[in-house]
Amino acid sequence: MPSDYVIESENLTKRYRPHIMAVDGLDMQARRGEVYGFVGPNGAGKTTALRMFLGLVRPSSGSCMVLGQKPGAPDALARIGALVETPAFYPYLSGRNNLRVLARHAGVSYSRIEPVLEEVELSGRGNDRFKTYSLGMKQRLGMAAALLKDPELLILDEPTNGLDPAGMAEMRHLIRNLGQGNRTVLLSSHLMGELEQICDRIGVVKDGKIVAEGSLDELRHGTRLKLRAKPVEKARELLASLDGVSQTEIQDPDILIIEADPSLAADINRLLVGAGIDVSELTTTQNSLESVFLSLTGEVRSHE
Amino acid sequence: MNSLLAELLLLRRRTATWILLGFWTTIALLFSYVLPYYAYTANTNFHGRGIVLYVLLPQNLVSTITATFPFFGGTMILILGVLSMGSEYNWGTLTTVLVQRDSRLKFFLAKIAALAIAIVPFVLLVFLLGFLTSSIIALREDQAIILPSLWDLVRALSIGWFLLAVWASFGVLLAVLSKGTALAIGLGIIYGLVLEGIISSFGRQIDLLDQISKGLLRTNGYSLISTLGGSVTAEVGPGGFSGTTVSGTQASIVFGVYILLFVAISALVIRLRDVTGTS
Repeated sequence: MPSDYVIESENLTKRYRPHIMAVDGLDMQARRGEVYGFVGPNGAGKTTALRMFLGLVRPSSGSCMVLGQKPGAPDALARIGALVETPAFYPYLSGRNNLRVLARHAGVSYSRIEPVLEEVELSGRGNDRFKTYSLGMKQRLGMAAALLKDPELLILDEPTNGLDPAGMAEMRHLIRNLGQGNRTVLLSSHLMGELEQICDRIGVVKDGKIVAEGSLDELRHGTRLKLRAKPVEKARELLASLDGVSQTEIQDPDILIIEADPSLAADINRLLVGAGIDVSELTTTQNSLESVFLSLTGEVRSHE
Repeated sequence: MNSLLAELLLLRRRTATWILLGFWTTIALLFSYVLPYYAYTANTNFHGRGIVLYVLLPQNLVSTITATFPFFGGTMILILGVLSMGSEYNWGTLTTVLVQRDSRLKFFLAKIAALAIAIVPFVLLVFLLGFLTSSIIALREDQAIILPSLWDLVRALSIGWFLLAVWASFGVLLAVLSKGTALAIGLGIIYGLVLEGIISSFGRQIDLLDQISKGLLRTNGYSLISTLGGSVTAEVGPGGFSGTTVSGTQASIVFGVYILLFVAISALVIRLRDVTGTS
């Protein structure tokens, strides 16, 4: 019986020298048919992990199965499309000829070349040499190469790098479409907005480890309530003892964020007003993925 | 087969392949025919003038043209071998290719097979142009155009291919070890054009170096082509070789061992080493 997991890694570790731990006991599972986001700061070990899934880098320890096989197994590779780091092609060949070379290596018919070029809107420049392409066009050719095998699993490492805002939106749309049905997409990025819009589940990587994994809602810890109340300290004391309120946090002088089911909003309002507290705003709010990421990875932004 | 076709497409479409082919045939003809014939026509009074003309005639094609293989030919093909493999590291295309379907070994063997095929025109063209040039010289000097025997020609073409194949595999090894082209070409050229020549020349005074030189590419190359007849020794000039030669059989065995070693070590490194991106 085929596993539900397309990628399964257990305690996957890559150590380059005794003191360089690129990936440190990575445990992750990507399910069939989902768009899985791999997010982490630069140097967190995302690309090394992707290279291990593809058999390009051998793990120092731990295990990993991709499409039910060991990474790099030809049968598995034939079902994987990948774009790792910057798109790398032969600069003296045209985009079309680059895809011909890859089609030969992949054992794919040349008839796949035109549809994938059209899908990434490169048909018109397909006969131009790769070295004349802009960064965005190179990225799109990389995407075309990844799609050449009509793969079950797409592994994409920063696919929107170098694209302008319109190109990024198109790429997001393309990835979302590609992730429909049974195809699994493993998408690595440090652009939170991008992942938030595309992914079903996300794994946050820090120092080579998954520090959090779950759906967007799970990572954001559900919906929260935002209150503007005066005096805010008194409101906090009252709500802290209320059943169904798990956490309270004062953000601004008058603003209180609480973790509670939104259905409690009316009860909370009644309680506060009854206690003589002025409530001028009561709305639902969600943690952004970015704030979750920053709190999990300990990254600090200098400017907001 | 598909991978081989892909690698042949890469070599065929690459300008550097054609530049090397053009440069190699030009210098081979220049040093084998054009300059000696110019010396022959410019100086009417030097010792051995008749022998110079004799060497330039079509009947001596195999020995005359193959004399350029161990030196210029080897270096040119070393560069082709380096470019073919080393560029995969420079451009990061090794990652792109190795995530398609082929195993690392299959990819590497396809590349080696494509190089082995690409060497064929390097051998054939230089022989063809050598024959045309020597025929023109024969006509100008009122000499008969006598072709070498078919057997001699087949042997010469085979030896030429074999010799270039060793150098190509040496280039591939250097590219794999250095993960690129620049250092590999630099080291290859210094080794081929300088180091072997120095060791061979000191070999006349130091017995140990003489013994070492018998295992070197150039010595064995010149030894192999000496089995085709003619003299390969020259004290001066580019590619001049004055070292000790070994028997043709020994040279064939040494070259066979070199090819196997170069290919096996490269394959092992490619199979075992992590592919981490552009170098």
